[in-house]
Amino acid sequence: MTQLYVDSDRYGEPPVNLLVETVRNAVTDLVRRKLTQSGGSWSEFVFAASDQLITTQDFEAIERQILSSGYRFAWSAVISARERPEIYREGGAMAANLASFSFEHPEAVVAVADDAGREQRGVGDNVVRRQENVSGVARYVRSSEQVIEYMNRGVPPNTIAIIDDSGGTLTAPILEHFTGIVCAGGTVRSHLGILAREYGIACLMGAKISGIRDGDRIELETSAEAKTAEAYQRGEEMPARIWKLAR
Amino acid sequence: MNSHEISYAQLLETNNLIQNCGDETYWLCVTRTVQGSKLFPVSPYILLSYLNSFYRYPSLLRKIEGQMRAEDIADRARNMGMKIQNSALGWALPNFYLLGRELLLSLGFLRPQDALEDVVCVMDFWKRYMLSWHRNDAHITNREYGHRAQILPDRRLEVFHSDMFQCEPGDALHEAACTFLATASQYGFLVSCESRISLTNSGPYRLDERHEMIVRDFMDLAECSLPWLDGVAQDVPYNYLTVPMAARDCHFSLVDDWGSFESRPEFTADHVVGVGLYTSDALSEGFVPVGMGSREELSGTFQSLNAVLKEATNKLWLRIADWTRDQMIDAGALVYYNIIKDLAHVAGVFEVDDWLTIDPRAQRFRPLLNDEFSNECLGALVGSLSLPNHCQSPYTMMQHSDRPTRTYTLLPYAVLAAEEYVPTSGPIQPGTSHLAPKIDRYRTSAGVLTLEEYNRQARANRPRLCSDKYRFLCETWVKYNHNTALANELYELEQRHSRTLGGKGAKFSPRSA
Repeated sequence: MTQLYVDSDRYGEPPVNLLVETVRNAVTDLVRRKLTQSGGSWSEFVFAASDQLITTQDFEAIERQILSSGYRFAWSAVISARERPEIYREGGAMAANLASFSFEHPEAVVAVADDAGREQRGVGDNVVRRQENVSGVARYVRSSEQVIEYMNRGVPPNTIAIIDDSGGTLTAPILEHFTGIVCAGGTVRSHLGILAREYGIACLMGAKISGIRDGDRIELETSAEAKTAEAYQRGEEMPARIWKLAR
Repeated sequence: MNSHEISYAQLLETNNLIQNCGDETYWLCVTRTVQGSKLFPVSPYILLSYLNSFYRYPSLLRKIEGQMRAEDIADRARNMGMKIQNSALGWALPNFYLLGRELLLSLGFLRPQDALEDVVCVMDFWKRYMLSWHRNDAHITNREYGHRAQILPDRRLEVFHSDMFQCEPGDALHEAACTFLATASQYGFLVSCESRISLTNSGPYRLDERHEMIVRDFMDLAECSLPWLDGVAQDVPYNYLTVPMAARDCHFSLVDDWGSFESRPEFTADHVVGVGLYTSDALSEGFVPVGMGSREELSGTFQSLNAVLKEATNKLWLRIADWTRDQMIDAGALVYYNIIKDLAHVAGVFEVDDWLTIDPRAQRFRPLLNDEFSNECLGALVGSLSLPNHCQSPYTMMQHSDRPTRTYTLLPYAVLAAEEYVPTSGPIQPGTSHLAPKIDRYRTSAGVLTLEEYNRQARANRPRLCSDKYRFLCETWVKYNHNTALANELYELEQRHSRTLGGKGAKFSPRSA
């Protein structure tokens, strides 16, 4: 078997992630085969023969090889699972009935109702400290269809959007109409956190929540300290609580 | 295959630049951001952009330098607010290229010495550009300066400071300005397909004991060299807007090479007490005020721009929501890869095929770019550094992590002995795109132009502040020559559009007035 220059690596360890390792092994095998096929030296191959010999079809074959083992990829953008549901896991999750849906984080800190009837259902990282806590009605926003519906019908007053997208684009046309945001991912420096700060919208990022359903009244502890860069760097928690309120 | 001699000194310097980029990239990626998007396949497009950058940047930088030197373009950048600041030049130029190289190394497509002359070319261009752009603070990067960016000269800061309108929370200007900042930020994330590269901040600049100024730039707002803005941004009247912003009782403790800032206490709109508004581009004579005649005019201008950008946001969002995955990936990959395209606009050598297509050598990798592999591979490339090429001698303690890893593979000095290398990846190859073709319409300060006309005017334009007479009249010279006629001329030139300082020259200092 032809050896590649990078095959002789004194310190190299295989990639930690199994999929990355699988793809890497398949691609380096491909390069070895094509180098042999070229019959030339590496110098003749690297930016000349390989441009012609290693093609899109070769990479499609690698994808087929992985899928043939029964493996299905995790998706992160809705469009990916929508266009090719056959190659992704849980392709239909976005279509779940929001009335019965809830984020269920295994590390969500929950507690029984306090004297005021507030039942803690999780924590998040506060973007900006405020004088007061913020309360409103929880509404999950997870797809562009929902955003279009809100664009057409308006965002109901006192909406606290529950989002699992820490980016700033999915909710771009409607973001400014939210009373608050609970994001199940990201940090206070994620794009959604940055925009919430610019718009002056109460926002908890990286939230670990459980048992909050669409239409629940919730309260965010926005009077808690904002999470600092130093806390992230040291791996320290600065939790702001999230309560479900009695109906 | 070696085409010409690379010296030991060149390799030493190049490796130092690579290592600095690697240390900062690790810190930025691990501590500064966690992004996710349900709308855009972000990691797939980022990986594709890195590959496109690797195969194309060296040729395109050589083409740009055929018309205009890196340090001369940076002189322009220091006097305006185009997309040749951060994160475009401070971070993306070298790091997109190096991340593409590292990805290909990990897949066995390269040896560390392959494309050696390309690597030296890219890092040398970057170094000269950054030294010139940062000449007033005399650092290569914000990182070197403890994450600070004091780019502008005294004469420009005087104009920004003196012409700024004061505002307070609750008044009309404050409301209009802060709403605009939020809207423009959100539009920027959308224009840039869920990245922050259409926004940047520089500074801080000390105004007095309680006040600091940050200069905020918003770029690629109108119909420009991003085809997805054709039509939807037709009513946006400026492609670049700059907002000098004064904050009270808020210290900007960090302005990084991505153009993001952090402050103590946390910055909120309540801290904003002064704003201005300017535009500039490759055809303008530096910064030109926008709506700065009076408080009322500025307030109305912010409101009007806010409405226009909101409309453009909605139209663009609906266009994007209708895209296929390939279109989303192409748009994201292109807006990332062509983050340095304004270099070509300033030099007057922008071509659609250069900056708005994916090279076939990068394109062929697309079948690998499912969401999961892309997320994990990107994480390994910039976060966990868990690819074989990252692993170093077990004695190594990497900056920030203490682990035996290195973000970027250094060039081997063995090429100076007997080790053979391939100097370049070669010229760019004809590329493709799934997006609608770019309409030949570019919003500039000289009106809406065709690309041919834009390039022609850019090649012909040389702002007076960048002419031979003035360009080397630096801050050291001004310190000791402020009473001369030449210094007065220099300051009057900068003040020509100033409402408060026009004609006052270098003899007058608004800070001591």
